[in-house]
Amino acid sequence: MAKTTLENLRLGIFVVIGTALLLLATYLIGNRQNMFGKTFDITADFKNVNGLQVGNNVRFSGIHVGTVSDIEIIDDTTIRVHMVIDDKMQEHIKKNAVAAIGSDGLVGSMLVNIVPGNGPSTTVRPGDALQSYSKVAAQDMMSTLSTTNENAAMLTADLLKITRSLNQGKGTLGRLLNDTTLANDFQETIGNLKLASTRINATMGELNQMVGQINFKESAGGVLLGDTLSGGKIKNIIENLETSSIAIEKITQNLNEVIDGIREGDGAINYLAKDTVLVNQLNKTMSNIEQGAERFNENMEALKHNFLTRGYFRKLEKQNKKENPKGDVD
Amino acid sequence: MSEISITKRVGSSLVGRAKHFFVQIGELSYFAGRFFREVFSPPFEFRELLRQCYQMGNRSLVLVGVTGFIIGLVMTLQTRPTLVQFGAVSWMPNMTGISIVREIGPVITALICAGRIASGIGAELGSMRVTEQIDAMEVSGTNPFKYLVVTRIVATTLMLPLLIVFGDLIALYGSAVVENLKGDVSFQLYFNTVFDALGFGDIIPATVKSFFFGFVIGLVGCFKGYYSKKGTAGVGIAANTAVVMASLLVFVVDFIAVFVSDIFYEL
Repeated sequence: MAKTTLENLRLGIFVVIGTALLLLATYLIGNRQNMFGKTFDITADFKNVNGLQVGNNVRFSGIHVGTVSDIEIIDDTTIRVHMVIDDKMQEHIKKNAVAAIGSDGLVGSMLVNIVPGNGPSTTVRPGDALQSYSKVAAQDMMSTLSTTNENAAMLTADLLKITRSLNQGKGTLGRLLNDTTLANDFQETIGNLKLASTRINATMGELNQMVGQINFKESAGGVLLGDTLSGGKIKNIIENLETSSIAIEKITQNLNEVIDGIREGDGAINYLAKDTVLVNQLNKTMSNIEQGAERFNENMEALKHNFLTRGYFRKLEKQNKKENPKGDVD
Repeated sequence: MSEISITKRVGSSLVGRAKHFFVQIGELSYFAGRFFREVFSPPFEFRELLRQCYQMGNRSLVLVGVTGFIIGLVMTLQTRPTLVQFGAVSWMPNMTGISIVREIGPVITALICAGRIASGIGAELGSMRVTEQIDAMEVSGTNPFKYLVVTRIVATTLMLPLLIVFGDLIALYGSAVVENLKGDVSFQLYFNTVFDALGFGDIIPATVKSFFFGFVIGLVGCFKGYYSKKGTAGVGIAANTAVVMASLLVFVVDFIAVFVSDIFYEL
């Protein structure tokens, strides 16, 4: 009898625990699907639900808040998704929140993501319809990828053409890549440039040294750069120069007019300037005068030695010596 | 002449086997019908029912628990490298949870029980038949079918779902141990993920079919034992065929259950 009671007790414990575990599992699964506890319903309209099913999760900012309770088709472009949301979340979900259909990971099941909207808004009420946002579906992505692939194929074909012509040495770039003479020239040029830059560097060093040695305070440059008084004076000089240049211009104009008058006129100067016969005659006359002057000098020298005039010349020498005792001769 | 005789012999053997098979099905159906007639009519043998429940439920718990733990552990260990290759190791709780609750837990537990309980019932009732205890009960005015068969079939039908619940839980625990040691997944995260993945479409069909598994195991065990042939060899045959037939019927019931639940839940 005692054995039977113990057996029954053990059996009772076994049955109770087993049933409790089964009920607990059922409760946990039901709780995940918001079957227990207070809930409220909201809806959102989509163009495409991308395989969303009744029972899929609803998340608000990444937190599980409810499940999809029903999906109904309104018309050919509108599908209404009904969601059961935990009552505790009502105060957090605002009316401007946006519902979007996503997936749990790359290959996970579909779910509805509710994202808070921008700006302040009132809390959502049971039966409200949220704004929806349709993400790019996999099919759309594939079509975009297809276009991208086509473009990539065209680009690679073009690139192939370019690389072929480059390999064949066509065009400037091809020559640059393939022409060894050009490469040598280029190398030489680079060498020259290097040398030139070294020299320039040295020159710059020297210039720096020279500039360092210049006394800016006392030099004209220093005065030009630093002295405001001199600057004023220079300004005046420049103004004067400007006035002078205007005057010079006028003078030049007058001179031009005079020269034009000379050229065009019948005066002696024009005659002198243009008549070549007269020039020859004048040359002859000048040479005659030169000869005459030489002969006159000879005569005068003869006069100095003549006994009649010798006394006069000696008298002149003495007088000169008295006036210039150092012996300077005019 | 000899070829014709071989063909004849093979043909008659096949016909004999088919005939035997259909006779067995017919007898089993009649036996099941008798069970349903007897189960709802008094007197009810509660004391014997409780004793059988204890024998089948409590006494099988350790076996089911150890088997479940090893199955969960081994399944996770074997599947893990493949999931790691795909970078989908975080899906391990989902995969093991669904596979254990839907299929592996119920079927493995049912097969274990088919081995232990169906053979036990077959041998027990067979030996009672051989030793003419059943005949004696009939003579003494006690309904042996109600006392021996109904209590056992009801006990297996009620106990197997509970054993499956324990078996599933322990198998999930075994899986969680591996995930915890190899993948640094906490027990809480593991079971959260498992219950996230599970739905009523997983747990209800599994629970419903476990009642049928229990019923089939009890029915076949009792049937084979109750109608065992005379002699000591008959007891062995009864125990052996009870296990084979119960295991086979477990798979048949499983197939039908999956087929039906697919219609209702669109698995």
